Amino acid sequence: MHVSLYRAIEAVFCKEMRISLRSRSSWLVVLMFALTTLSCVSLLMQGDVLSPRLAAAMIWVILFFSLLSGAGRGFADEEQMGTMTALSVYGTSQAVLFGKSLFMALLLMALAMVVLPIYLVLMDVAVFSLPVLLLTLLMGTYGMAMAGTLLSALMAGARVQNGLLPVLMLPVLLPVLLPAILLTAGCFSGETHGSYLVGIALYDAIMTAAASLLFDFLWYED
Amino acid sequence: MISLTFSNVTKRFGARTILDGFTAFLPGGCITAVTGANGSGKSTVLKLAAKLLLPDGGSILARDGDKELCKASYRSRIGLVSPDFHAYPALTARENLDFFLGFRREAPLRSREYEELLVRVGLSPDAVAGKRVGYFSTGMQQRLHFAILLAAGADVWLLDEPGANLDDAGRSMVRREARRAADEGKLVLLATNDREEEAAADACIALSGH
Repeated sequence: MHVSLYRAIEAVFCKEMRISLRSRSSWLVVLMFALTTLSCVSLLMQGDVLSPRLAAAMIWVILFFSLLSGAGRGFADEEQMGTMTALSVYGTSQAVLFGKSLFMALLLMALAMVVLPIYLVLMDVAVFSLPVLLLTLLMGTYGMAMAGTLLSALMAGARVQNGLLPVLMLPVLLPVLLPAILLTAGCFSGETHGSYLVGIALYDAIMTAAASLLFDFLWYED
Repeated sequence: MISLTFSNVTKRFGARTILDGFTAFLPGGCITAVTGANGSGKSTVLKLAAKLLLPDGGSILARDGDKELCKASYRSRIGLVSPDFHAYPALTARENLDFFLGFRREAPLRSREYEELLVRVGLSPDAVAGKRVGYFSTGMQQRLHFAILLAAGADVWLLDEPGANLDDAGRSMVRREARRAADEGKLVLLATNDREEEAAADACIALSGH
């Protein structure tokens, strides 16, 4: 990556972080959703043990819906603040894409780091391979964030926005969610398969390349 | 020196034709004013020049001397002050400038350069220190937009009603900086209905509207 592009990406990332920390809105919405889901499920389980696959699916469903509430705001907030013109004129589309995606990935990963320990304790789930679980979360949230940012930019230009993001998000995220759930379930049961990790890595690579190529067409009218 | 050529440009919004066969040559080193009644297409000309809109017909060509500029190269040399342009309200003036310079891949300003820039656009460094832009008055925000334009070192200045919301001193600053930019060889395109701004221009394009 060109050094100057790195600087532009860093500028967008820091700006997102600073505004997000000041408004606290994106963090709070995502965190409260996760905590509410966890509380409801753990109270209703009443000591029952979840199967590893169900336990893994629950974690990724929380991350998926957190992404929906977080990513949907990525460009909607820019529209609301009237800063889309400034972003279009003073920088490049690639800096916007990667700056916002990396911030979203960090947000999801931070959420996973907060939710996971609580979840493991409340549900009484054992982890047999912590490094694989952390790697799965890291790679899975990156792929989800990249896809979420791309679709959010697509929605920002669409006239009909209500409900369209989740509809588009599901088929785009399914190829990363399924191996991530299976791999997470493997970490809970002690039977991990490295091929799923390769699958997630491939998804991340393809999504990064595709988003980078497509984003110019979304961002610039010409 | 950078120049912009509009050749037979047409722009429609729905059934309404805003520009029909608009042709103009905008040279660097001079201030060109675009005037006309509300709805005549002044802002549209600026948005077309900023590549924020695509023409429905005709072409817009940017050149640096004899060399035609590619889209990316041209975009990296544009600066804009318009009613559509807003700095981030949750950030301070300094944070906004740092962001836009980083985004533009320029070096950050040193404290002394930052203070000189604020004084140049008529903002008091003490008055804006630590204050979020959302709490600025409209005139102060407009001055900050000028500071961003100056700091970015843009070669193409696209100014849409730049004196709006500014007091006499502010409007005088706009005319002074536009003249200084033109003297440095920059292309200044100014959409205005202000007589003084129009008088400060070297050339004028009057749009009749359709």
